[in-house]
Amino acid sequence: MTTRHLLGSAALIAFLAGTASAEVTVLGWPGGPEETALRAVADLYNARPDVAEENKVDLLFTSRDGFFDKLQVDLAAGSTAFDVNLIATYSIGRYAPFMEPITLSDEAGAVFGDTVLSTMQFGGQQYGVPTDLSLHFLYYRKDLIDALMADDAAKAKYADIAEQYLGERLEPKDPAEWTWQDFAANALYFSQSVNPDSPTRYGTVIQMKNLLFNMMVFHSWPRSYGANWMDDAGNITVDSPAYRTALEMAKMLYDAGATPPDSTSYEYAEANAAFTSGQVAAMIQWNAAAAELTAAQPATSTFAPPSGPDGRFTHIHGLGLGLNAAAENKDGAIAFLQWLSTSEAALAYARAGGAPGLASETVAALAAERPDLVQVGEYASTYGFVMNGGTSENALSVYEAQAKEFTGYWAGTQDLDTTMANITATMTDLLK
Amino acid sequence: MKRLGTTTRWIVFAIAAFVMNFPVLATLITAFKAPGEVTRNPSLWIEQPTLENFAAVLTVSDRLNIYHYLWNSLAAATIGAVLPIALCFPIAWAMARRGTGRGVLFPLVVNLRAVPLIIFAIPLYMMYSALGLLDTRFGLGLILAVVNLPLALMLLVNAVSEIPLELEEAARMDGARLPRILTRIVLPLCRPAFVTTFVFGFITAWNEFLFGLMLTTQNAVPVTVGASFFFATSGGGVQWGMAAAVMIVAALPPLALGLIMYRRISWSMVTGAVKG
Amino acid sequence: MQNRERRENAVLASPLVLFLVAILGFPVILSVIYGFSETSFTTLTSPKFNGLDNFRRVLADQDFWQAVSFSLRFGVICAVAQCVLGLFLAVYLAPLIRRHGWMVAILIIPMIVAPAMMGLMYRLVLHEFAGPIPYYMYALFGWSPSFLNAQNVFTTVVVAETLQWTPFAFLLFLTAYQSIPQDLREAAAVDGTRPWRMFRKIELPLMAPTLFVALFIRFIDGFRVFDNIYTLVGAGPGGATTSMSIYIYEAFLRQGDIGRALAAAILLFGSAFLLLALAQLFMRRAT
Repeated sequence: MTTRHLLGSAALIAFLAGTASAEVTVLGWPGGPEETALRAVADLYNARPDVAEENKVDLLFTSRDGFFDKLQVDLAAGSTAFDVNLIATYSIGRYAPFMEPITLSDEAGAVFGDTVLSTMQFGGQQYGVPTDLSLHFLYYRKDLIDALMADDAAKAKYADIAEQYLGERLEPKDPAEWTWQDFAANALYFSQSVNPDSPTRYGTVIQMKNLLFNMMVFHSWPRSYGANWMDDAGNITVDSPAYRTALEMAKMLYDAGATPPDSTSYEYAEANAAFTSGQVAAMIQWNAAAAELTAAQPATSTFAPPSGPDGRFTHIHGLGLGLNAAAENKDGAIAFLQWLSTSEAALAYARAGGAPGLASETVAALAAERPDLVQVGEYASTYGFVMNGGTSENALSVYEAQAKEFTGYWAGTQDLDTTMANITATMTDLLK
Repeated sequence: MKRLGTTTRWIVFAIAAFVMNFPVLATLITAFKAPGEVTRNPSLWIEQPTLENFAAVLTVSDRLNIYHYLWNSLAAATIGAVLPIALCFPIAWAMARRGTGRGVLFPLVVNLRAVPLIIFAIPLYMMYSALGLLDTRFGLGLILAVVNLPLALMLLVNAVSEIPLELEEAARMDGARLPRILTRIVLPLCRPAFVTTFVFGFITAWNEFLFGLMLTTQNAVPVTVGASFFFATSGGGVQWGMAAAVMIVAALPPLALGLIMYRRISWSMVTGAVKG
Repeated sequence: MQNRERRENAVLASPLVLFLVAILGFPVILSVIYGFSETSFTTLTSPKFNGLDNFRRVLADQDFWQAVSFSLRFGVICAVAQCVLGLFLAVYLAPLIRRHGWMVAILIIPMIVAPAMMGLMYRLVLHEFAGPIPYYMYALFGWSPSFLNAQNVFTTVVVAETLQWTPFAFLLFLTAYQSIPQDLREAAAVDGTRPWRMFRKIELPLMAPTLFVALFIRFIDGFRVFDNIYTLVGAGPGGATTSMSIYIYEAFLRQGDIGRALAAAILLFGSAFLLLALAQLFMRRAT
């Protein structure tokens, strides 16, 4: 009896395991438009006549909180719970040892363009199909800035403030022409601690929480002054006038009260809450916030981040899907990934609300439905950058270390020289 | 004079209840605000009360099923709260009465509480994977029991040492052997401590997040992890109203337990009197 | 007789010991190996023995000592504050609670809420533009303090932790207070002992073991704090709110430095074990 029982359960387990491996399980980025879009393309794929029953796609979504920590443990322990998993530009290097490179469809180059494909490459190999692209916008309150530009007394005050804090008399300008100096002057002018008559409490919100994603938002700033993580010879170049200038300007704004005093605990949600309350004039934020911010403050306009001596830049990173090395249904997984890199799939993904970075010829088909994607694609190809070393094995740790050191400087717990010495030492260790 | 004292006590209670529960109260209010109102109106007054947040949380969709998460948490937390009591009770008596294991076992177990047990995530994951315990309520319950062992041991040792020795000695005079003494004398007198330990353990297990995240994917997802599914349902940042509603729903079962327990506490008052 | 007691003790200890070995045996052995090896996520199956290297790195790490100091200060301050408040509430409100048991339920709500969620709640409550506290501060005084900047963040997290876990101490003290034999109090009352004196001379000594246990548990819980601080402010600007648990967690999962994370954990466990073992020995000598 017991033996038969055991045999029975063994058969049951084998049966369950069998059905599990007969599908392609895809671990996606949970919540938000990425999930909606992935669901749509998965349905489309499963409905194709040439997709065998055992190769149909089954989606798996876990928690956003601790997503990458869990993924790290899953992959390192050789999980077979999914065949295809999410990767991001900054974490490819970390997960690559547990994944397998893939070959994309022939049209992938034309669909996405080389810049976007490169966000999913590590060590010269393609590890994923790019699905979503993230970059940063300058969000500003057009109503406030128009009013400022129409008022001569206000302009004079603006110039006085700029001279006092930045050492030069600046005039209010259209944000499309802003340099970071203009950004700073505007931030100061619209802060009540500097200008008691300001209609908003703060001129800007800088996300200064000790969190790696905040470093990505910050990076467009030093980059426009010529910053990079390392030079082509592999020397760490973080201790540069470019980084120092941007760090000092951000701290100056924090100390002057141009960003909320609690900014050192602010991340995405807090910054959005501040902006939507109507007490902030302009800020740099992820493109994903566009809908939320515009809905709450209809006078909100967007442009690429301000420019610096070296030009205008926006930090880009991509999300994508790649192949788990321990996958139980590799062939099925590869077939799905190849299909995902066709223009049919990319367009369906975009139509369902995703934000793929598409080449201009591809995105033209969508111009009417998704004008925002045209903007994202244009900014990505014109201003997009990834730091030298930004896709290396330890890129994630570099962002972590910068978050700790830079926020320490902003909060006043350490000086700039210490900060630079610490981060140089850490990055030398991490990027060697 | 006596009435004045009572009034002051009520005032102290009201202040303590308000201050300690302020974040919960604010969250409860936020849960009834429409998404747009949360940042527009931070006050404790709701302009247009709405149930849409709760409706969204309580609706079963393709992916989200709050009842499933609640059931998983209930099962895992019950295992995680009961098992430590059963495991610790016998040795707690020996520790309190005979000093058994005081030198090694006691500090060993108690200090498990000081170490972030998540460092065992990888070996546990491998072991669970081999034993088929991954993504099961039972597997999650076992590790939650480990989390609760230190507290259970401390509280039970403390409880046994508070039981008057005379009662046990009297029974021994009557010729009772150890098993009989434990089950007939010590066990009943420890019941209040069992209740307290169970409640603390259940709450701790219910609220555990990291193991729930690491060791489950679909079938055994506990409500703390499931709740975080709701936070970002419309992209990007935290949806405060929705987050507030799901936090309230997730806190209700342990809260109900707390409400039931206050009767237990009055009950333990009675046994306290008998004890003396 | 001796032999039988020993056999009995072995039987009494066996459920707990067997369970520990079954669940934690393999993880602990593997973790100790990792602690003495150069290990990252890619070399889990081939750790390279490097002796005390990880321990040297931990002990030379300024951040480690900052985390130790944070956790010690946090643990001590919170434990004392919670026990003082909890004791006061339990004793002072006991006469009311005797008649209105539901009061207990109200007072223990905070500790029922998951700490991670409590951190999230404070993120909302303290937010300058979306939180009720700054809102009313601005409405009443036209000004609100910065709760989470580098200067104030320690106080804020201490207050948040204390408000959440005072109920724990309160509940332990309430149970202990209620189990004090009523005839002791009555006898003292007949002698004309005043309430404060009764508390100091009779009730407090009887509650001493519970006081000790409560202080100890609250200290350990404060020392290992993770969830609420992590969701509220993360590791803090420049690592200002990095507790021991956050330090180990970040080294382990975020930096992938498994060797260092486990060395830190072993050091933590080892020193805590020694302290407690000595305390136990000392107490047994004393009695």
